[in-house]
Amino acid sequence: MIEAVGLSKSYGKTKAVDDLSFEVRAGLVTGFLGPNGSGKSTTMRMILGLDHPDAGTVTLGGRRYHDLHWPLREVGALLEAKAVHPGRSARLHLWSLAQTNAIPKNRVDEVLDLVGLAAVAERRVGKFSLGMSQRLGIASALLGDPGVLLFDEPINGLDPEGILWVRNLLKSLAGEGRTIFVSSHLMSEMAQTATELVVIGRGTLIADTTVDDFISSNTVATTLVRSPDAGRLAGVLTSLGATVSVADDGALVVTGSTTERIGEAAHAAGIRLHELSPQQASLEEVFMDLTADAVDFHGTSGATVPR
Amino acid sequence: MTTTTATGSPLLATAPGRAGLRQGILSEWTKLRSVRSTWIALLVIVVAGIGLSALISNVEAGRWGTLGAADRAQFDPVRFSQAGEFISQFVVGVLGALIVTSEYANGAIRTTLATLPRRTTVLAAKAVVIGAVIFVVSEVTAFASFFVGQAVLTAHGGKTLPEGSTILTQVKSSFIPVATFSSTGAARAVFFCGIYLTLLALVAFGFGLILRHTAGAISLFVGVLLVIPLIVQILPSSISDSIEKFLPSNLGLAMIVVTTRKTDFAGVLLSPWAAAMTLALYTVVIVAVGGWLLARRDA
Ligand SMILES: Nc1ncnc2c1ncn2[C@@H]1O[C@H](COP(=O)(O)OP(=O)(O)O)[C@@H](O)[C@H]1O
Ligand SMILES: [Mg+2]
Repeated sequence: MIEAVGLSKSYGKTKAVDDLSFEVRAGLVTGFLGPNGSGKSTTMRMILGLDHPDAGTVTLGGRRYHDLHWPLREVGALLEAKAVHPGRSARLHLWSLAQTNAIPKNRVDEVLDLVGLAAVAERRVGKFSLGMSQRLGIASALLGDPGVLLFDEPINGLDPEGILWVRNLLKSLAGEGRTIFVSSHLMSEMAQTATELVVIGRGTLIADTTVDDFISSNTVATTLVRSPDAGRLAGVLTSLGATVSVADDGALVVTGSTTERIGEAAHAAGIRLHELSPQQASLEEVFMDLTADAVDFHGTSGATVPR
Repeated sequence: MTTTTATGSPLLATAPGRAGLRQGILSEWTKLRSVRSTWIALLVIVVAGIGLSALISNVEAGRWGTLGAADRAQFDPVRFSQAGEFISQFVVGVLGALIVTSEYANGAIRTTLATLPRRTTVLAAKAVVIGAVIFVVSEVTAFASFFVGQAVLTAHGGKTLPEGSTILTQVKSSFIPVATFSSTGAARAVFFCGIYLTLLALVAFGFGLILRHTAGAISLFVGVLLVIPLIVQILPSSISDSIEKFLPSNLGLAMIVVTTRKTDFAGVLLSPWAAAMTLALYTVVIVAVGGWLLARRDA
């Protein structure tokens, strides 16, 4: 379990993380969602004791990272896939990491197999594609068979097959009871990978919830209706309590009702319909709306977000 | 999965002890030996050391017959054999800086500091590994260079001066003087050549910690060895005389010269031991500043 309490971090005038508190529970995949520059990587670095918070604490199972006796055996992390000496082979890179925490040598081959890099284990890492580097980063995170795993944008640079592989890996790791904290700037990706969500914008917490709740509470269902008798239909629907607006092409956009109720009302009034279709705001739109302020005013140092 | 710790990690996490210096040293050694540039650099140290020893000894031996008294007095068979030190000092500087700056260049320093969260452990592990590797290679090279140099002088008809010889004996000698290990100061000078290079590697390591940037650290290192002496030279001699002997390059000279100590460097250099101690002091201060910054700064 990861517990952050009041985490704050500034770099000069940039407030990267601002009074951030959240919990990440074991046995679940928790998505860490925020636009670029919202403070995800900074938070990850503070969890690992790499950057010192200006205020607040973050603990893993009640202990600070610094106090873990064999950190790699408890926490695995993928921060930057390319953060490896290009001249070193994948196997020796992993072996050098394993040695720091007295992890046996056969574990290196195990994780190379697990991520599908066994065939290129002797090749110099500098020759790896971004996708292969991501797999190597995941291998190093898994080296110590840790109970807590942090992945910072692990699907960057992966092909669709690789993305699916990461998704399933994260789910199966969570299924084994591990704590999985994975960041992304893509809502759609999180929706398919995570069940829990920590959403941040400009370093502050926007939502700490489940993916399902986040979507349903932030998505407004609308219905698109086309009719040759649109004017009359609008009046009928408004009288039933729905909100109706007219799109550029004359279609009606109805909120506060359902396709069933609109269809019944039209039938009862004898109005013909040419189209009746439910519209879901895309997850990406929801997320964009929520973090819009955070993005618009990113880089300024004001404490409040002007509207 | 057996839940044995608060974070729910399996068996390994509860092992006794903790990730410490031993693990750090093993890991740093694996990292150092697994990149080709390390071996190229070490090879340059050996080749430059032995090669320049043979070359310079050969050139100097050829000149012996034509030298006047003053030049004969300055004939230093030990120092000739350690001529490669001039090149090796830059090679060890690069190696010393790279063991830390290469990790800053690609971000691997974060992985290193996450695997060993106690930063003093990382500092010590890196210092021990780079120090030990440079020490072994430099000492082996220094001793090999010594024997090669004396062999070249001997091949030119050189002989060991009788015991109790003075500079005057050397000036009047009809044959080229050859040093042995029992010659006064010879063993010390050869051993100190390796020590000089080891300390320089650690100085560069400290610069790397402070600047976190390869080009910056190496520039500073070269500046200290080459540029500062030039600047000091153009100062009025009232000032430069008192500074000169404390310059790292002159400390190195003081550690390595034997015969010439009494001639062209008379009164200019510190004694070998004082020079070694002074350079060691510089090294400790620079590495300590670097270590303090490493512990304090964000990675
Ligand atoms: N080491 C640093 N020095 C200066 N500014 C930084 C540093 N790290 C992050 N920042 C700034 O902090 C903010 C958050 O960055 P980051 O944590 O990388 O966001 P994310 O990972 O969500 O994209 C950004 O404005 C970024 O420019
Ligand atoms: Mg990031």
